[in-house]
Amino acid sequence: MSARDPGTERGSEIQGVLMADFLSQYSIQRWLEMCPQGYLDGTVYGHDPDETEPEELLEIGSLREASIAVTVQLIAGERCALAASSGLINHAPDDMSKTFLATQTLDEARHVEIFTQRLIDLGVKREDVNSTVADLANPNLVRFAEVLLEKVSSGDFVAGVVGQNIILEGMAFSVFEMLQAASAGNNPKFAQTLAGTIADERRHVGFGENSIGGLIRQHPEKRAEVEKMQAEMAYYMLATFTEMFSDAGTRMEEAKQLAMAKGENPMEGVSWHGADLATVTPSEMEAVLADTVLGEFKTRLGRIGIDYQTPKVPA
Amino acid sequence: MGGADDEAWEPHLLEEDDFLREVQSFSFWFEAVEGYLEDRPMGFDPDLTDTHFEPAEREQLITLLANYCVGETAALEASSGLVRLAANNRSQIFMATQAADEARHVEVFRRRLAALGVSDVDEVIATRANPALIEFRRHLLAFVDEGQWDLAVFAQNVLLETMEDTVFRFHQSTADPVTAQILEGVVADERRHLGFGENDLGRRLARDPARRHDLAQVRMDLDPLVLNSFEATYRDLGLRRDEFPDLGRSYLEAVERLGLDT
Repeated sequence: MSARDPGTERGSEIQGVLMADFLSQYSIQRWLEMCPQGYLDGTVYGHDPDETEPEELLEIGSLREASIAVTVQLIAGERCALAASSGLINHAPDDMSKTFLATQTLDEARHVEIFTQRLIDLGVKREDVNSTVADLANPNLVRFAEVLLEKVSSGDFVAGVVGQNIILEGMAFSVFEMLQAASAGNNPKFAQTLAGTIADERRHVGFGENSIGGLIRQHPEKRAEVEKMQAEMAYYMLATFTEMFSDAGTRMEEAKQLAMAKGENPMEGVSWHGADLATVTPSEMEAVLADTVLGEFKTRLGRIGIDYQTPKVPA
Repeated sequence: MGGADDEAWEPHLLEEDDFLREVQSFSFWFEAVEGYLEDRPMGFDPDLTDTHFEPAEREQLITLLANYCVGETAALEASSGLVRLAANNRSQIFMATQAADEARHVEVFRRRLAALGVSDVDEVIATRANPALIEFRRHLLAFVDEGQWDLAVFAQNVLLETMEDTVFRFHQSTADPVTAQILEGVVADERRHLGFGENDLGRRLARDPARRHDLAQVRMDLDPLVLNSFEATYRDLGLRRDEFPDLGRSYLEAVERLGLDT
């Protein structure tokens, strides 16, 4: 397997390289070598078979409920990505893009599966999974997904790839990174599960950046529509963050006190984008996450020739 | 766990819950393909020495592979469209694994064409595609576009997969070593897809026997296209009419397991 990771390549670095050569980096063969035969080898539902959820997470009602709520948002996002990536295959302009999107479809299906399994591990009955997701999915996240899926349903490949592989995946990438940093010390099972999804999302974001720039240049008339979609999706994303963090303070404090009572603080010394996870407040964490994701949007959209649109601030 | 490469394993004979839990998961797919693809990048052992083809043999193989690409691309387009139509997450996940399988098949067949010296693969596929297969694809994608899950699953996972499974097995028995290994991996995938189609439709028909009539009508429309494709394949394999094997039998057996006599 080549050491080159297509997910980390940048648009400027592929100038002069034929698109077909670049896309060959996203073959099924390469995906098989990197993902199932690579970082997922030996895992079950994305983690070491011996790992389980921490006992206190399952025993303390408020922590368990909070974990279920977070996991539901992950499932909702991944279901959207699964619908979007599969829906884009038939609108892809060439076979190699179809091939990549087929691997992404399978990645997203895997993410739906592993987060659904986590819900079951957290005590949700299998037959209650769908009703739990329907009840707890944040309405703003649902609207975020609808904006994207409207583009996919109408066969708009350019807007669909930007919405999915840059906006949705960009958001997922940062959220997963944040959750992984917060879980690394006290929930290795969840942290490992997230590590695999982060590796996948990195590939997806890379494809979005590298494949779509040329199409935007060919279709400059699409820019305004794509920019409008980006602002709308970013708004619903920020609204989701606000609601998810609004009642997180009590739980974060409870988890911290619990850890301290056991004579340990798994967050001690852990930081994420400059935020000290041992001391950060929910509102500070929300701000760091929002700034990180929006900053990533700006950078990545700039690479494909789209002007980042500052979203309205949710009330 | 039974594997898709286990000759004796018949997923459609499992009880419903066991079947769903077993086969409609990424983990099952992962274990299944890992078994037969781990040492075969692009579907074959890289240490295999390719055959020297006579010009006529090479042309026959190119035509066959071009038509395999048509069928596999149709299956990729249909299975990806079916992800959103699936009634539950397990079926969605299965269809996602099938989309990846079909994309792999397209990839390995196109690579094989390139290895045979075809410089413009798209052009070769366009000029050598059997019109019956193109027509089959049109019907299949129409079912997907209309949101007709069971008709599309029947056309794709029963009719198309059975046709491919039958042809690929026969071709595998006579093919050069590289093509035979590629076909071996593809056939293993097709069996999984076929098992899903038979089980899914079998359960649906048990709940809604009246739907049998609609599927029988689809079969009446598509059977001639399938049989036409079989004949074209025999010709592409260089067989005389009196040498044509009875490949239609497996196709008919799979369809008749669902009780869909026309």
